[in-house]
Amino acid sequence: MTAAAPEPKATMGQPVPRYDATAKVTGRATYGSDMPLDNPAYAFLVTSAIARGRINSFDLGDAKRVRGVIDIVTHENAPKLKESKLFSNGGYAGTTIQPLKSADIAHDGEIIAVVVAESYEAAREAANRVKVSYSAATPSASFDSPGTTKAAAKGQNAQFREDPQVGDFAKAFEEAEVKLTASYDTPTQHHNPMELFSTSCAWMGDDLVIYEPSQYVYGLKNGVAEQLSIDADKVRVVNPYVGGGFGSRGSMTPRTAIIAGIAKGLNRPVKLVPTRDQGFTIATYRAETRHEIKLGASRDGKLVALRHEGAEVSSRADAYCVGGTKTTTRLYACPNVDSLVSIVRADRNTPGFMRSPPEVPYLFALESAMDELAVKLNMDPVELRRVNDTTNEPIGGKPYTSRSLMACFDAAAKAFGWSQRSAAPRSMSDGDWLVGYGCASTCYPTQMGPSAARVRLQRDGRTRVEIAGHEIGTGAYTIIAQTAADRLGVPLEKVSVFIGDSDLPPAPVAGGSNSTASACSAVMMVCDQVRQKLFKAVMPNESLTDKAKETVGIGQTPTTQAAKSDRPLDLEKAFDALGASVVEEYGEWKPDGAPLDSFKAMHSGHVRLVGGAALKDKIAYAFGAEFVEVRINRLTHEIRAPRLVGAFAAGRIMNPRTARSQLMGGLIWGMSSALLEATEIDERTARYVNDNFADYLVPVNADVPGVEVILLSEQDDHINPAGAKGLGELANVGTNAAICNAIYHATGQRIRKLPVRLENIEA
Amino acid sequence: MSDTSSSRPSGFHRRAFIAGAAGSALVPLTARAAVQDAQAPVAQDPALPVDVTLRVNGQDKRLNLDARTTVLDALREHLKLTGSKKGCDHGQCGACTVLIGDRRVVSCLTLALAAEGQEITTIEGLATNDRLHPMQQAFVDNDAFQCGYCTPGQIMSAIACVKEGHAGSDADIREYMSGNICRCAAYPNIVAAVKQAATEIMKG
Repeated sequence: MTAAAPEPKATMGQPVPRYDATAKVTGRATYGSDMPLDNPAYAFLVTSAIARGRINSFDLGDAKRVRGVIDIVTHENAPKLKESKLFSNGGYAGTTIQPLKSADIAHDGEIIAVVVAESYEAAREAANRVKVSYSAATPSASFDSPGTTKAAAKGQNAQFREDPQVGDFAKAFEEAEVKLTASYDTPTQHHNPMELFSTSCAWMGDDLVIYEPSQYVYGLKNGVAEQLSIDADKVRVVNPYVGGGFGSRGSMTPRTAIIAGIAKGLNRPVKLVPTRDQGFTIATYRAETRHEIKLGASRDGKLVALRHEGAEVSSRADAYCVGGTKTTTRLYACPNVDSLVSIVRADRNTPGFMRSPPEVPYLFALESAMDELAVKLNMDPVELRRVNDTTNEPIGGKPYTSRSLMACFDAAAKAFGWSQRSAAPRSMSDGDWLVGYGCASTCYPTQMGPSAARVRLQRDGRTRVEIAGHEIGTGAYTIIAQTAADRLGVPLEKVSVFIGDSDLPPAPVAGGSNSTASACSAVMMVCDQVRQKLFKAVMPNESLTDKAKETVGIGQTPTTQAAKSDRPLDLEKAFDALGASVVEEYGEWKPDGAPLDSFKAMHSGHVRLVGGAALKDKIAYAFGAEFVEVRINRLTHEIRAPRLVGAFAAGRIMNPRTARSQLMGGLIWGMSSALLEATEIDERTARYVNDNFADYLVPVNADVPGVEVILLSEQDDHINPAGAKGLGELANVGTNAAICNAIYHATGQRIRKLPVRLENIEA
Repeated sequence: MSDTSSSRPSGFHRRAFIAGAAGSALVPLTARAAVQDAQAPVAQDPALPVDVTLRVNGQDKRLNLDARTTVLDALREHLKLTGSKKGCDHGQCGACTVLIGDRRVVSCLTLALAAEGQEITTIEGLATNDRLHPMQQAFVDNDAFQCGYCTPGQIMSAIACVKEGHAGSDADIREYMSGNICRCAAYPNIVAAVKQAATEIMKG
């Protein structure tokens, strides 16, 4: 076993290599822009140079003279498209700002023209020759800009339903023995997945095929159909591999219907590969946030009052917000809680989901404040979490289905060597390096959505699983194959998995870390249908009790305890009894508490996730604890994070190899969110300045010397049949706070604004 | 397009190319710049195609390309070798890394014409008879990728990293693999993979 493949503990599957490993190391894995097209035309975008105002006119003369140009599409001749509602408002779109609809400009970098040419080179040159005359108005860039408006999120964002409150915060805070009030800021960040925001659209008669990196093929299919006013059955989205998503590809962007419309008009496939910088404005991003936290505690560290006020930036058009107070008000025991989330509207593109959308900014605030409170109490920050640990969330008193927070703290603290820490700030050093240790909690809601699957089993054991899931790097192929092999008792190498295609049975958006729980629960259910069919053929007179259903296996080599059968069926005999050589079953699964319209919504590309704090009589979260060591050079103030250690408990771990990799990547994301990533905005022009991979800092190999991931066993029978809690967005939460807490420990300086760069260190 | 083992004179005319390139350099790069710049000269005809023969994975490939075509776009759009990936087109991310001779280069910043007559090796040229190259196998064993989009570039870069003698320590590997961004952040696993493969590559 390599470090990459940890030995499975109880409640864990096998760390088998990825199903798609060979395809990915040989270049055979085909991403959206790799798909072969028959004689494509190449599109290149022209984007707005102003953030607010109007286009007076275009001068397209030079551009049209470029050899190979086929067409230049502007608002004056663009295909007519229907508007789509915002994803978080029951629609498909990541923005309701529809480019090429009129001369109006809503944000910098908005698509204002599309050049189509015979070659990529010609399209690019012609795009550079498009001349635009604007009437520009002064834009409002962000929080402090004149002209923004601020209002409570509740009432303007359909998905933000509550500002959680309980008890009497004001009185309790007033009377608290120890008090803390502190403000925290997080910056704009862009997902920057490696694969660009490409799309290729090809029509065959009235049927449209779209090759595009998407985290939701059913949403994109239905959304594009709606915009083009055609039947959704005419649209197929294909993307067997997605080059990273991180939330950026969950909702539809305007580019797809535009390119589809142009391709229809040309009667020719059109391929668009936007530039890296265009990706900053034609898709979504994590908006900047501001927080004020008030904590009141008794001398022994017990929280008596907690208030979290958050503000987030969104566009003029859309009231997008992430609203993380639903989590921060429920993480610790506290009888008196208050909260408020507001949205500030600016002349910006609409923000959207980015890996752990609410938790990254909101837990930065809470977990930094917890550390500040521990300092005030002269208490070990781990012990502060321990005295405020709880089995029930404080707002509604609902029990956590399982909660291994302190087990994670204890495991991670031990691996990290937390006991070696001397508590006083600036008390640890190594030559010219000040050394600091810090820690924080992480948590992420456990969510599930309705999902369908089709499973086909042949006499020889070969199995085909079909589900419109998404391989965004999470290991979806692998765990779906493992689930089917386990449930049917067939060898893993006999299982083929087909995902990333909207012609397959619908699965939810690959967002909110629901995919494993949803897809695997659906696949398990449909595998059971296959088993029942064979079981009935062999034993027609025996009634299938639930217990029997659980224990009837059909194969020879079950790979886990779950599939081990006390009454295995012989496949040959079963198929003989059935009088067939193939069993194929389709089924639709939905989680407890899913709304009545779940299955209908699933087919029309509408998400119906349930879980987290929104469950009726329980609350379901995955937990973890993260410890970091920072080193700050006392002369140059260079900041390094040589060690990141995280322990995580997330129900059943389907594959410790893919789980560890995701959590490891998450920890590095968390470090990055503390020390590297920020999209800089020019206050005067409301323009992103560092819109490329040289200036938008993401971690490179030299930035991450040591990362350790500890997977804890956890059994939770109250969440979903798979017993799995999502973990793709668990490890990059809280890390930013842990790093700032470590910087405080190293230097005595408390930093409340991200990212922390060497110029922010005072001594 | 046809495969041939002989090298052919290129149909590339230096004068036409320079005229085209100079013309391009004068025009504003984006519509943003175009606001101020009303009268940029139009290039003669930079899109005049030229003949070029690229030697890719041991085979000669004759192509007729726009002179501004990069090695990356020649591979992806004209030779259907889509293993090399476009992540930035600016030489900032490394997803397009190929070997030219023994050297690792970002193929998005290398004109196809400039690579004529040189050995280009891409991710598709590594495995032989369905047997993975030791670096590919090491990436599988160590789970050195997640989404896989940067992986071809990482592997090509890693092979060169070993041959350059920069895989002697973890710190060296980290430093000399830092030109390849992995947004999924599989970095520790990439270091482990390079270490594993380095031993085998240096042996054989």
